[in-house]
Amino acid sequence: MKFQGYFVEDIPRRKFLELSLKGGVALAATPALLRSLLAGDTASRPKVDLEDLNRVIRHALSQGGEFGEVYIEHRISRTILLEEGKFKSAVFGISQGAGVRVLSGDKTGYAYTDEISQEKLIRAAEVASFVARGAKTVKPVNIKVDSRPSYITVKVPLQTVADEKRLEIMKRAHDAALAYDARIKMASINYYDEVRSRVIANSEGLYLTDDLPLLFFIVQTLGVGSNTSHMGRERLSRHSGIEMFDELKPEDAARTCARESIVMLEAKDAPAGKMDVVMQNGWGGVLVHEAVGHPLEGDNIARETGVFVGKLGKKVASDKFTMVDDGTLPCFRGTTNYDDEGTQMKRSVLIQDGVLVKFMTDILSAKQLKMERTGNGRRESFRNIPIVRMTNTFIDRGKDNPDDILASTKSGLYVQSLSGGSVNPTTGVFNFTCREVYLIENGRKTTPVKGATLIGSCLDVIQGIDAVGDDLDFGPGICGKGQAAEVAAGQPTVRIRGINVGGSRAR
Amino acid sequence: MDYKGLAEQLVKKCLKKGADAAEVYIENGRNLSLEVRKGEVETVEEAASYGAGFRVFLKGKMAFASSNDLGERALEEAIGRAIEFAKITTPDPNNVLPDDMGMTEIAGLYDPQIAQIPMEQKIDLAKKIEQLAMKDSRITKSDGARYGEAEGEVVIASSNGLVKSYRSSACSLGVSVVAEKGDQKSSGGEFCGARSYKDLKPAEEVAAKAARDAYEMLDPRPVKTPKAAVIFHTDVGYALLGGILGAVNGERVLQGASFLGKMMGRKIGSELVTLVDDGTLEKGVASEPFDGEGVSTQKRLIVEKGLLKGFMYNTIVAKRAGVRSTGNASRGGFTSLPGIGPHQFYLAAGQVRPDDIIKATKIGLLVKEVTGYGINPVNGNFSGGASGFWVEDGRIAFPVKGLTIAGTADEMLNGIEMVADDLDLSKRMAAPTFRIKLLQIGGE
Repeated sequence: MKFQGYFVEDIPRRKFLELSLKGGVALAATPALLRSLLAGDTASRPKVDLEDLNRVIRHALSQGGEFGEVYIEHRISRTILLEEGKFKSAVFGISQGAGVRVLSGDKTGYAYTDEISQEKLIRAAEVASFVARGAKTVKPVNIKVDSRPSYITVKVPLQTVADEKRLEIMKRAHDAALAYDARIKMASINYYDEVRSRVIANSEGLYLTDDLPLLFFIVQTLGVGSNTSHMGRERLSRHSGIEMFDELKPEDAARTCARESIVMLEAKDAPAGKMDVVMQNGWGGVLVHEAVGHPLEGDNIARETGVFVGKLGKKVASDKFTMVDDGTLPCFRGTTNYDDEGTQMKRSVLIQDGVLVKFMTDILSAKQLKMERTGNGRRESFRNIPIVRMTNTFIDRGKDNPDDILASTKSGLYVQSLSGGSVNPTTGVFNFTCREVYLIENGRKTTPVKGATLIGSCLDVIQGIDAVGDDLDFGPGICGKGQAAEVAAGQPTVRIRGINVGGSRAR
Repeated sequence: MDYKGLAEQLVKKCLKKGADAAEVYIENGRNLSLEVRKGEVETVEEAASYGAGFRVFLKGKMAFASSNDLGERALEEAIGRAIEFAKITTPDPNNVLPDDMGMTEIAGLYDPQIAQIPMEQKIDLAKKIEQLAMKDSRITKSDGARYGEAEGEVVIASSNGLVKSYRSSACSLGVSVVAEKGDQKSSGGEFCGARSYKDLKPAEEVAAKAARDAYEMLDPRPVKTPKAAVIFHTDVGYALLGGILGAVNGERVLQGASFLGKMMGRKIGSELVTLVDDGTLEKGVASEPFDGEGVSTQKRLIVEKGLLKGFMYNTIVAKRAGVRSTGNASRGGFTSLPGIGPHQFYLAAGQVRPDDIIKATKIGLLVKEVTGYGINPVNGNFSGGASGFWVEDGRIAFPVKGLTIAGTADEMLNGIEMVADDLDLSKRMAAPTFRIKLLQIGGE
């Protein structure tokens, strides 16, 4: 295990740990915690009232400490796998639990319980209070029901959808993939949905509750050629009802995926060495998510280890580079109404025209850095402490014409899609594995190449971006930083000068 | 609580609710993790948790449900959900449960003493390792020291009459530091794991490795992009092993999605390549008496002297392939169906010393860090980022960073021409130092 590595996963984990919500407004709470989520969908629903939560928070701060919090979560999930023409498995999950957190200076105490009862919550509060023994105490404010605006809308709630409908959507993708080309020998369709309900109560008097729906649809296709094979991948995801598939058609995802599998059968060996790279709009934004986004997270700034320490207000990137983290984009995979600490979602411009203007924070790092809370405190589940995470992160739209960017690049590499990669946030050194890549020869996309890795350092890359298109687009993914988080990454078509490409042949 | 009794009772409940066959998998346990930075406790996390997973079969159809609420109503609901869900899947005659009643005897998987050691002692250990790692003047910052422990019990019961359980424990200790020189930053981290507190490596050893990894990479120099010999340090053996694991997964093989699918019994690597999967090693960090669905674990040769000898199977995939399960059902916990995965997967040790490999290398790259996904299990292509040391005339010349290495599994496995004797089985995927004859290196 290397502690410092953050990564974006290529292959979906067997067990997805994601979120989701029923839309509308973040709902006002009723005295009984966790309202009925989905008719008939929940098992025994925990009963805790506001005064009980006040008592837990007071108990959490009884030894000392300046911030106490209770987080209660309930999640219903469905995973269905259609592979090799068979609905191989269907998995239903019921998960619930609560975590109690105490902050005291730079210290965090945390304990969680699967059983949501007053007795277990008090016990968790005791364990969490361990770190604050002897510290000065802040008197908690009694909690009061609050609400936040919502960025998630639902037309057809997931809980009203018959399983047959889910299967039909999967089958449409499966059939479209196999029909695309005779060389597509297998299609794998993974359907996931969930509804996550949250209750957040803290010693600042906050009490919030909502339900988040989430859909994640992954198509993989195997193309088999005369002497090689290639597994393609395409993903769809939104915080939304099942109507997502009216707009993002499963057949289109399947064909996009199948096309990649077939094209890459003709791929030649990639060249090795430094070259100019043009990256197509969309999920390629994951490169800046890793290379720039992680180092901009407030936790490593507060620790003074990150590559951007001491660089606030300074010019760090080319004039054309503006980077944003925006948790309010409607229904996006990285969107929520508020983060897992209850902080309002925001649009945060992190780098403006090349100048570093803001770091992303959670409650702890905001306090340590004396900066505003940006709504980036997120957690995988009640089993995890919230940490600073990105939401929907992207290079903002520029003014260049994407066709001109390609045409004005004499030679190099055209990266149509990336798998994922990782960064060391201390040094800013990153690596990326490409999915679909072409050579650029005389301003034109030519031969597809395989096995290309992009590596470099954060600052070199953002200083080397000399063209930014006007065609901003996004893709969904999973970000790993000890915990999994659902994110979106985006960018317009961009050109990066002189990036190191790892290929298997010398130029 | 009597989880075995509960599991058996829940199997009966599944059958009563209409399943033809059923399996109940229960996990319960507790964990503690703490983090220290700059000599102060920064985080303490503690919890006990449990949950149950139900795999049900209905006329050859299979589905699964899990719940971490073990209240009667919640369990009823989960079982009901599994049975309803089974109605929508496709029937398959291969959908069966194992009937292996045995268990592999493995000593040293559980240490009941861990919980008895006072928290203060564990905090002190983390403080000590941080202090030791900061000792060298080239180390300027701490990125924290961590101690973690977990212990728990796994229980499996099924309608084939199988009822099994075992307890296990694990401890871990690690530290991350940063070395700085002018504008340069270099990070290093090391971690060790063991089944028992007393078997953790000495803090001195782990700390020294973390510090060395950071400072020895200062002042790197650029290199051109030649083809040269590449020596894999023991830290990066996983970069070779990961893709091979994907390719010996029996289900991928049946799907035609493995570059090794048609190579059974044939030569896939040099004579020096022997790959072992061992679920039976005493005190082994990846050992277990039975796999994720209750099949006894084994020690198996996957590749012997370059010849491909075996794929990995769970029960369902084995039936489909017409073979027996190899005890490789892996489970991501009580919330998931059994997949296929390794136990301790390693490249067997060779005869020479690591130094001998360096001495025998006229020009080459000693890789200490590899980034990326390793070998692609579908087509065998390999490409990744690399850093380490440049080797010239049998000596380490200078550190190198920001390089890439690329090739194919075929070139890598057949190109292995020296394997050292420094295999360390304290990590789940392990390889001794080895040298590959020639790989494409990308640099300036």
